[in-house]
Amino acid sequence: MMSAYIDFIRIRFIMMLAYRVNYYSGIIIYAINIGAYYFLWQAIYGDKETLAGFTVTQMTTYVAVSWMARAFYFNNLDREIANEIRDGSVAVQLIRPYSYLLVKMMQGFGEGLFRMLLFMVPGMIIVCLIFPVTLPTDPKTWAIYLIMLFFSFLINSQINILTGLFAFFVENNEGMMRMKRVMVDLFSGVVIPIAFFPGWLSAIMQWLPFQAITYLPSSVFTGRTPTSEALHVFVIQILWFLGLLVPIWLTWRAARKRLFVQGG
Amino acid sequence: MRYASLFWEYIKNYAKTRLTYRSDFWIEVLSDLLYQGMNLIFILIVFQHTPSLGGWSEAEVVFVYGFFMIPYGVFSTFFSIWNFSERYIVKGEMDRVLTRPAHSLYQVLLENVDPPSLIGSLVGAIIMAISWAQLGLPFHLLDIAMVLLLVISAVLIYAGLYTALSAISFYSDAPTGIVPLMYNIQNYGRYPVNIYNKMIRFMLTWLLPFAFVGVIPASYFLAKKTDDLSQLALITPVMGVVVFTLGLLLWNHGVKRYRGAGS
Amino acid sequence: MLAIDVKDLRKQFKVQKNREGLSGALKDLFKREYRELTAVKDISFQIPQGEICGYIGENGAGKSTTIKMLTGILVPTSGDIRVNGYIPYKDREKFVNGIGVVFGQRSQLWWDIGVIESFQLLRKVYRVSEPDFRKRLNELVERLHLGDLLNRPVRKLSLGQRMRCELVASLLHNPSILFLDEPTIGLDIVVKTEIRDFLMQMNKEQGTTILLTTHDLQDIEALCSRVIMLDDGRIIYDGGLDELKNRWSKGREIQFQFASHTTLDRLRQLTATLDVSWTAESDVTARMWLPHAVNVSDALACVVGGTEIRDIKIFETNTDDIVRSIYSSGSASTSKETVVS
Repeated sequence: MMSAYIDFIRIRFIMMLAYRVNYYSGIIIYAINIGAYYFLWQAIYGDKETLAGFTVTQMTTYVAVSWMARAFYFNNLDREIANEIRDGSVAVQLIRPYSYLLVKMMQGFGEGLFRMLLFMVPGMIIVCLIFPVTLPTDPKTWAIYLIMLFFSFLINSQINILTGLFAFFVENNEGMMRMKRVMVDLFSGVVIPIAFFPGWLSAIMQWLPFQAITYLPSSVFTGRTPTSEALHVFVIQILWFLGLLVPIWLTWRAARKRLFVQGG
Repeated sequence: MRYASLFWEYIKNYAKTRLTYRSDFWIEVLSDLLYQGMNLIFILIVFQHTPSLGGWSEAEVVFVYGFFMIPYGVFSTFFSIWNFSERYIVKGEMDRVLTRPAHSLYQVLLENVDPPSLIGSLVGAIIMAISWAQLGLPFHLLDIAMVLLLVISAVLIYAGLYTALSAISFYSDAPTGIVPLMYNIQNYGRYPVNIYNKMIRFMLTWLLPFAFVGVIPASYFLAKKTDDLSQLALITPVMGVVVFTLGLLLWNHGVKRYRGAGS
Repeated sequence: MLAIDVKDLRKQFKVQKNREGLSGALKDLFKREYRELTAVKDISFQIPQGEICGYIGENGAGKSTTIKMLTGILVPTSGDIRVNGYIPYKDREKFVNGIGVVFGQRSQLWWDIGVIESFQLLRKVYRVSEPDFRKRLNELVERLHLGDLLNRPVRKLSLGQRMRCELVASLLHNPSILFLDEPTIGLDIVVKTEIRDFLMQMNKEQGTTILLTTHDLQDIEALCSRVIMLDDGRIIYDGGLDELKNRWSKGREIQFQFASHTTLDRLRQLTATLDVSWTAESDVTARMWLPHAVNVSDALACVVGGTEIRDIKIFETNTDDIVRSIYSSGSASTSKETVVS
C-alpha cells in the first residue's frame, strides 16, 4: 500500500517535468519576486541599520530563503480538490482503495520535491550570486531547517485541503481560495516578517498556524532565532500539524456524509 | 452593436446563474474585499517603520493603491479566465467556441464574466477620493475624464497581458502555474517603481508593464511628482493600445496554431 | 449542389514523444522529441445536399479529425474542403452560421441555468430574429417532446433529455448541414429511436444534410443511405449501405429444427448438389450456411424433401458482423481483393 502512495509522489514529479513552460517561467518569476522584495526592503530600510530587530543582511537572507521555501511548500491542492468536487470526480476517487486526502498530500509532496530540486536549488544559486545573501555554515542549522521545511509543507497543505474541501458546502469557493492565498502569503511572513507587525496583530498571529509555515523556520535559518531555541519552534509546528488534523477530519466526515446523502 | 447585445445577454445569464447561488455571491464579494484589505495592511505596516518609500509618503502610496484597484476590478470582471487552459484547451471546450459565429476571445471572456469584482473598483475609488482630500490635491472637472482615460488604458494593459498569457496555452502544454505567479508580479506595479534597480524597473515598465496599471498613471494626479514617472503617465493610453493589440494578435495567432495542431 | 466537397484532405499532427521514466522526463524538460502523425491521409469524398451520410471507423481512425476540419475548428495540412460553398477554416465566423454541430460527449449548454436561457443566448449569437426563433423553437420542442424541460437547469436533466436539448441548440439557426459526433452515445433505446426518427423527418422535410459519426451501427442502418468507412486515416469504403452488405457479407445461414434426430451425414447427402455446409447444434437442430450464389428456395426444397421440419430461421449477416470483419481483415486493399476474388 505504501508503495502505491510513493508512486503518487513519483508520478506527480514526472508530471511536473512535462510542463516545460511552467518550469522556465517559474524560475524567472521567483527570481523577480525575490528581487522586487529585496529592493522594496532596501527602500524601507533607507539608511537605517536595523528594523524590528532585523539587520539589512538578515532581511535580505530572510526574503531569499522565505521565497525559496515558498516554492517548496506552495501547491494548488485547494484548487485541485475544489475542481474534483465540482466536476464530480471526487466520487470516483472515493471508491478507490486509498485515502483520498493522503493521495492529495502525496501529489502535493511530489510537486514540492520537484520545485525544491529543480527550482530552489538553481534559484538559490542564482540569488546568492546576485544579492548579498549569507547562508548559515553550520550543517546542523541546515538539517534542522530541512525538517522544519517539511512541516511547513504539511501545515500549508493542510490549510489548502481544508479550503478545498469547502467546495462541498458552497457552490463556488473561488473567492475563499483567493483570500486564503493572500492570507498565507501575508500572515506566514513571506512578504513581511511578523516582527514588523503592530503589537496587536502579531499577538493574534501567535494563535494562528500561518507563522509556522514561513516566519518561524526562516527565523531559525537566518539566525534570528538561535539554534538552541529551534526545538521550541519545532514543537509549535508539530502542535499545529496535529491540531489541523482535527478540523480536516471533521470536514471530511461531514463532506462524505453530504456526498452520500445528496449524491454529490 | 451585435457584440454589445451579446454582452448584455451573457450578463443576464450570469445574473440568473448567480441568483441561484446567492450566498456565494456575497462570499465572493467579501473575500474580494478582504483580499484588497490585506494588501492595504501591507502598506500600512511598512509605513509604521519608515516615513517614506523612495521619496513617496504613506498617503501617496495609498493614493496609488486606490487608483490601482479601479482598473484591477474592471479587469477582473471581464478577464477572469484563470482556468482558460484547463477548461478550454485540456477539456476541449475551445472546439465548441470555434463552431460559433463570434470572435473566440470575446466568447471566452463573456462566458467567464465576474461582476462582483467591480466592488473592488468601487472601494478603490473611495480610497483614492479620501487620499485625494488628505493630500490636498487640486481638483478639476478634467481630472474625472483623466481618471476614466487612464483607468481604461490600464485595463487595456491588463487585458493585453493576460490575453497573451492565456494564448500561451495554444502553444504549450498546460501553463497552469504561470497565471498565479504573474499575480504576484502585477502587485509590484503599485509601489513607486523607482525603488527598484534598473533591470526590474525596466521590466515592470516595458516588458511586463505593470507599472502602467498603478504607479505611473496615478502619479499624473500627484502633481508635485515631477520625476520621470509622471512624465510617463500620458503614455499610458498608448501603452494600453499597444499591449492590447499585441495580446490580441498573439491570441489570434494562437488560435490559428491551435487549429493547425489540434489537441 | 454539393453540401460537402473534400479533395485530397490530409491532416498531420506533431506529437510529442514522452520518454519513459524519471530520466526520460528530465531529458524531455530540456530537449523535446516529436514525431509526425498523419491522422487523415489524402481522403476525397463528396456529399450532395440532402443526404444523410454515416462516417464510421474505429477509435483513432481519423473521424473526429475530419469532422473538426469540416466544421472549421482545425485547419487541414493539405487538400481542399468546401462545405456549403465555404472553405471552413477561412471564413469561420460566416461559415458556421450555416452549420450545426453536436458533440455527443460535450455540452454546449450552460450548466446552471434553464435550457431556454441558453437557447436565447444562442439566438443572439447566431442572429436569429425573435419570430423565427419562436417558430423554430416551438417546432423543435414539439417534435422532441421537450415542453416542460425548457425551464429546468441543464444539470438537472437526464442524459437523454440533455441530448435532445443539445440537438435543439444546434438547430435553432436552421443550419443546412448538421454534424453529429456520436449523437447517441450512452442513450437508452427509446431515446435513440426518438432521435433517429427526428433526424430522419427533418432530413425529409427540410432537406438538411447530415453527417454523423457513430459507433452504433443501428444508427447507420436506421438513418444512412450512404456510409463512408475510415481505417487508419484512409477511406476503405464509400457507398450505399445495401451495397456494403452485399459486397461484404459472404452468405446467410438457415437454422433448422427437425422433428426427430437427424444426422449431419444425412443432411449433407440431401444437399449434395449444392455448395452449402452444415454444422450441428444439437440432435434435432442444425445450421446450414449458403453463399449468395445459392438460392434459398433451392436449398430449402432439398431439405424439406427428406426430413420433417418443425421450424426454420433465416439469418442474414448483420452490419455489425460485416463491419467487424472489415476491421479485423485490416487495410482496405487486402479486404477489397478478397471480395473481388
